[in-house]
Amino acid sequence: MLSKVAERVYWLARYIERVENTARLAKVHSQLMLDLPKSVKLSWYGLVQITSNEDYFALHYDSRSEQNCMKMLLSDRNNPASLISSLWWARENIRTTRDILPREAWIHINELYVMVKNHQEDFATRTKRNELLSKIIRSCQAYTGMLEGTMSHNETYRFLKLGMLIERADMTTRLIDEGGLFVAQEVFENDDESYFDAILWANLLRSINAYFMYRQQYQTEISGQEVLQFLTQDEEFARSISYCLNEMCWFMRKLPNPEPMQNALKSLQQKISAEQKLIIGSNELHNHLDWIQKELSQINRLLYSTWFNPKQVA
Amino acid sequence: MLEYLKDYPADDYFDEAVAENNTPRTAAKPLLKQFENTPFNSLQEMQSSAEVAIANMGISFTVYSDKGNIDRLWPFDVFPRTLCSQEWKQISDGLKQRLKALNRFIEDVYNERQIFQAGIMPEAIITSSKDFRPECCGMKLKHNSWASICGSDLVRDVTGKIYVLEDNLRVPSGVSYMLENRAVMKQVMPEVFNDMNILPVDQYPMQLLSMLRSLCPYKTDNPEVVVLTPGIFNSAYYEHAYLAHEMGAELVEGSDLVVLEDNCVYMRNIEGLKRVDVIYRRIDDAFLDPEVFREDSTLGVPGLMRAWKAGKVAIANAPGCGVADDKVVYAYVPDMIRFYLDEEPLIENVPTYLCSREEERNYVLEHLQELVVKPANESGGYGLLIGPKASAEEIETFRQLIQENPRNYIAQPTLNISTVPTVCDQSLEPRHVDLRPFILLGEKSYVTAGGLTRVALKKGSLVVNSSQGGGSKDTWIVVTEEEN
Repeated sequence: MLSKVAERVYWLARYIERVENTARLAKVHSQLMLDLPKSVKLSWYGLVQITSNEDYFALHYDSRSEQNCMKMLLSDRNNPASLISSLWWARENIRTTRDILPREAWIHINELYVMVKNHQEDFATRTKRNELLSKIIRSCQAYTGMLEGTMSHNETYRFLKLGMLIERADMTTRLIDEGGLFVAQEVFENDDESYFDAILWANLLRSINAYFMYRQQYQTEISGQEVLQFLTQDEEFARSISYCLNEMCWFMRKLPNPEPMQNALKSLQQKISAEQKLIIGSNELHNHLDWIQKELSQINRLLYSTWFNPKQVA
Repeated sequence: MLEYLKDYPADDYFDEAVAENNTPRTAAKPLLKQFENTPFNSLQEMQSSAEVAIANMGISFTVYSDKGNIDRLWPFDVFPRTLCSQEWKQISDGLKQRLKALNRFIEDVYNERQIFQAGIMPEAIITSSKDFRPECCGMKLKHNSWASICGSDLVRDVTGKIYVLEDNLRVPSGVSYMLENRAVMKQVMPEVFNDMNILPVDQYPMQLLSMLRSLCPYKTDNPEVVVLTPGIFNSAYYEHAYLAHEMGAELVEGSDLVVLEDNCVYMRNIEGLKRVDVIYRRIDDAFLDPEVFREDSTLGVPGLMRAWKAGKVAIANAPGCGVADDKVVYAYVPDMIRFYLDEEPLIENVPTYLCSREEERNYVLEHLQELVVKPANESGGYGLLIGPKASAEEIETFRQLIQENPRNYIAQPTLNISTVPTVCDQSLEPRHVDLRPFILLGEKSYVTAGGLTRVALKKGSLVVNSSQGGGSKDTWIVVTEEEN
């Protein structure tokens, strides 16, 4: 398989996953606005922070309003990290790899792109925004399921999986960070604290469809500490970081020269599993999540030196 | 004779299907017989279902415009162009002969230059050509194959005689449309194929692959062939992807290839770097290798010329072969055939006046209203003057252009090229056509059975280029009963 083709399908999957996750992130933020009392100062700017877009925002926007934050995250075509840009890039990547993907893949993504492009103004108002975001999430899920069910699980499929998993792990770190940021800035009456914490974590879990899976695992009241454990260390939940890393190891086993990458993934996963005492809302947790993100970029670089930009004659 | 062909105006031009007195030509007889019980509206239905099939198959070409590049559907007419297999045999022999001579010429230009020493052609024609590549001097290629793939444009005049109008030797395109046209026709009128003896065209990709493999400059069991494309924004990307797919070859861009210090070409694979033996390139010379040609080219591969000159890779068509794709050089092809092959040309050139020769130039300048004037070095039907249809102003512009740069212009009589019945709103009407067969030259020669018939869909128009309102038809080489 040509390196460039592998690279394109890998990024195709990353972009689609990013579209879905960005939609989830925006949606949960809007939900929180409805559930939390007015006295809680919810910052829309948190969305900018957890997607690491502070510099871009400072350059192109003035006030940290809901409008501006949502625009930057969702419909700003000049922001390479916005939902619409990710979708555009996904479409470009699929255009040039059409011949190795099921025919419906192109049709599906093209339709999604056209739909979002024609309804961009809906991002501006809350009710329409949620409706559109839900549609986008559903469409991404249908697409992922369609590939799973109609594609040969060949090299192309493996690179799609790798892209999806690494992006998913990355987004999970950002989601936990979002929760932590809230907890850190909360100024609640003592009695209310645990009550609103539960709302916050329930919403975060819902944003990645993790609520019921979490409930089945932990029958107690929702606690930030357990959510953290569930999303980083659980070995069975499809969006936990540990699970994603394990899956990456598994999907690359049939690719050429996977051993160095597998070792790197295993060692990262062990370090994450060994972490015990991080407190929600603490600086240490934020740094830990940052560290995981950096490790994931390192994995991304390894993918390049191993498969996407080989220097050795086979 | 068909009811709706009774009033068909067959006498103005040579028509490929209908002869004088509205009788069918030999090659078209079985087809018109098949259509005897087919009313005209059934033909129109076939036309619509062909258009649906083309949309579903996603056959498109790209039109460049200010508003971005648009993929447009391929305009197609269901009434096929028919030719007799005996006539086709003579034509293909002539095309093979021609390509052989052209390749001998290119190798001669870059080596001994015998044709100039023999006084058959002035050397200045070559040294002044912008497609002459000094970097190619001294190269000898396997099977003498420089222009390994050629698309020659054929036309038929009012007397029914076939001429070669031009030879496209750089990166000729259109062959995928020939193949797709046939696939569409088989879907739209399967019965006709069942009852007629039409030569198949679909071996082309395999013939192309085996020709490309035969070019590998060294012995290896299984040469790795790749198709080099400029990328998705090129108007012929569809064809590049199609041919790569059909041949089972990788479709690569310049950035997928790398030349190492051993002068070998490798492609970047997930397994590592893999040796490439033969490159079917679909990018122009100028962009091939930024080390040698245009430095700003990001489409090419640095070091590719080095690898080619060291005999570590074959490139088809070879760099520098465009020197023979020049309308002035074209005028000398019959002489080349006599000189290199010691044979008489089997197909003639359209009579051509070279503006570089004083006597011929004077004739051209005096007869601009009757002639077609063409720049020596353009393709795609751009930059020409069609005298009988030009305004006085256009004629004056060309008069000046010719006087300023006579080497760059040739002129030919306006040909009343032949017509084929074409499905129009009310009836079948004659539309002008040409024909582009594709010729391969490697270890063996091969000519497609027919080729791409291009048709000027506008009434009275003689311009068949797809970028300028042209469409295409399927081309049927028919084995008639008389032969069997």
